[in-house]
Amino acid sequence: MLEAIELKKSYGSHEALKGLNLRVGAGDIYCLLGANGAGKTTTINLFLNFVTPTSGEARVNGIDANADPLQTKRYLAYIPEQVMLYGNLSGLENLEYFARLGGHDGYSADDYRGFLQRVGLQEDAAARRVKTYSKGMRQKVGVAIALAKQARALLLDEPTSGLDPKASNEFSELLLQLKGEGAAILMATHDLFRAKETGTRIGIMRSGRLVQELSTDEVSHADLERIYLEHMR
Amino acid sequence: MYRLIVSHETRLLARTGALWAILLLLVFAIGFAALAGGRSVTRQAKGAADAAAFEDGVRARMQADTEAYAARLAASGGTYEFATVDHVPGRGPPQGTNAGVVGAETAAYVVLPPTGLAALSIGQSDIQLRYLPASMGTTLDMVKNLEIENPVNLRTGPFDIAFVVIFLLPIFILALTYDLLSSEKERGTLAMILAHPVSLRELLASKIVARASVMLAVVMGLGLLALLGVGTQLDQVETWLRFGLWLLATLLYSLFWFLLAVLVNVHGRSSATNGIMLAGTWLILVVIVPTLVSLLATTLYPAPSRMDLIVAAREAQTAGEKGMGDALDRFYAEHLDQLPAGDQRAMDFLTLSQANAASIEKALLPLYQQFREQALHQEALVQRFQYLSPAIMMQLALNEASGTSTARYQDFLDQAYRFRGEWNDYFASRFLARSPLRPEDYDRFPRFEYVPEPAAAVMARLAGPLAGLLLLCIGMALLPLRQLRRYQVAAR
Repeated sequence: MLEAIELKKSYGSHEALKGLNLRVGAGDIYCLLGANGAGKTTTINLFLNFVTPTSGEARVNGIDANADPLQTKRYLAYIPEQVMLYGNLSGLENLEYFARLGGHDGYSADDYRGFLQRVGLQEDAAARRVKTYSKGMRQKVGVAIALAKQARALLLDEPTSGLDPKASNEFSELLLQLKGEGAAILMATHDLFRAKETGTRIGIMRSGRLVQELSTDEVSHADLERIYLEHMR
Repeated sequence: MYRLIVSHETRLLARTGALWAILLLLVFAIGFAALAGGRSVTRQAKGAADAAAFEDGVRARMQADTEAYAARLAASGGTYEFATVDHVPGRGPPQGTNAGVVGAETAAYVVLPPTGLAALSIGQSDIQLRYLPASMGTTLDMVKNLEIENPVNLRTGPFDIAFVVIFLLPIFILALTYDLLSSEKERGTLAMILAHPVSLRELLASKIVARASVMLAVVMGLGLLALLGVGTQLDQVETWLRFGLWLLATLLYSLFWFLLAVLVNVHGRSSATNGIMLAGTWLILVVIVPTLVSLLATTLYPAPSRMDLIVAAREAQTAGEKGMGDALDRFYAEHLDQLPAGDQRAMDFLTLSQANAASIEKALLPLYQQFREQALHQEALVQRFQYLSPAIMMQLALNEASGTSTARYQDFLDQAYRFRGEWNDYFASRFLARSPLRPEDYDRFPRFEYVPEPAAAVMARLAGPLAGLLLLCIGMALLPLRQLRRYQVAAR
């Protein structure tokens, strides 16, 4: 579903990504680990066509994101570190706007309420203006947008950083549900524990290169931490 | 997709205080300007009507006198005669039989009728009198109440709706658009939107449409209300045509400011930087350039001083009086009414004073010519330099559409001067022939009939500024396209 082929991105003389090859299939949760500046966010931005690749391709459903971004964005959902919404609109209104931006006009008011219920947003909060929301609540609306969009691939950029353990756990549960529905998920994260718990595969990045890929069922928590720290040395 | 974003933007705007504050200010400004414009139009109309009624009243009394005189003669016999200046009221022929007296002491008012839109753009009409007295005597008498020397600030008019549109509307537009993209980027919603199948171009266009439709609906609605408020008859095709042109100019001018905000926003700078850049551009285009152009016009082609006119008139008068010879003649030249009755000299002096006026008029002619030429030069220069600033183009277009342009006024002055000539010829010829005015002559006095300019002439003058604004908008719409492709959605 998501595929990076010899993906390179330079900013002036600085090479942020040095030939990345990566595949995320349906039902995969691929966790990108690595220090800040390793190229995780750049990779996600390339799939979203927020930045243009220097060379190589970022493919979504087999289509080059840089060649036909309006088509690839039909399949994508994006949940950044901070899901930013319109503070003067309610959660429901935000959800409706983004769902319709994604091309889904057919939902009823009940459908929208259903999405928010599914992600665990309290009912009274749905009609409140978003400026009163906590970060956890906004991340939930982000997932609801992905649900409404029926996204086949999710790009998550450190979505759980700063969430309390309970909210973080709820978020992981939602990801597992989406995975069960066949979504391909690419998530940049610093959270080794969550990566091991929810991820199916893990890629460790360092200075723009993917230095190791592993399956989560092959390693224990302790092994993962040891391997990660070895690469960071 | 466009409709979705437009309605979303409209909803967001409706929920922020900024839009309501701006609309409230706009309503206040236009309301105040409409009042000022309406007052100016009604004041001029009332002035013209009062002045004309007064003169007509004087002439009606003179006509009644001649009728009574004719009736008296019909009863008692005798010839209908010409009143000399030294006549005694109640005896002999009344003053109204003397063409010189009627022609010189009463005036016919020439009036430039306002167009239906005059209240929208007062233009220079507060210094360009719309009604002038035509009588014998000189042209100086006709325009002595007129401020011929345009004040330095030729281009900044009074507080009318045109002023609100030219000066304030851009500020309101920029207040709503200076952070068109930068606010979304700073808020973080831009990345959320662009993760969906929406292009930046669609997003920008929809945002502009949402804001422009709100602003223009308000301006158009209030403009129409202002017209109704000053009692404009809306049943004339010409009024609608002019209002259409007025709206077209306003639309193009607003579009320019919206597009300017887009142009500044696509470079991805912060909202604060965008705001400062846009405010600076407003200052340059709306205040500085028009002032400089006006200064250039009045410096390169200064109008002759008003003093020169008065001095020239005095010199011509003195020269005329010198020709009269001895002291007695000079005395009577100044005190015609004290001439002894039946003196042949009384008649001669009347002729002389008529000749005197003619020679003063002749001496003044080149000065008038100079005024006219300098005014035309100034106007031509402003026309040429208008393309430097949309504000100048807009002022010219609005004045033209409202019928308060310099060109229309010059055309009116030409007609007024021609009519004064006609009036003078009519009375002078009868007076010099000592042919008495009869009651029925009063109905045959020359009448001023304003001949409107052909529509083609108005359109031709409007073509320049309108085409300029249109081309400017097309250029402004194309400029950001390249930059838009390089717009950085995400920080590195």
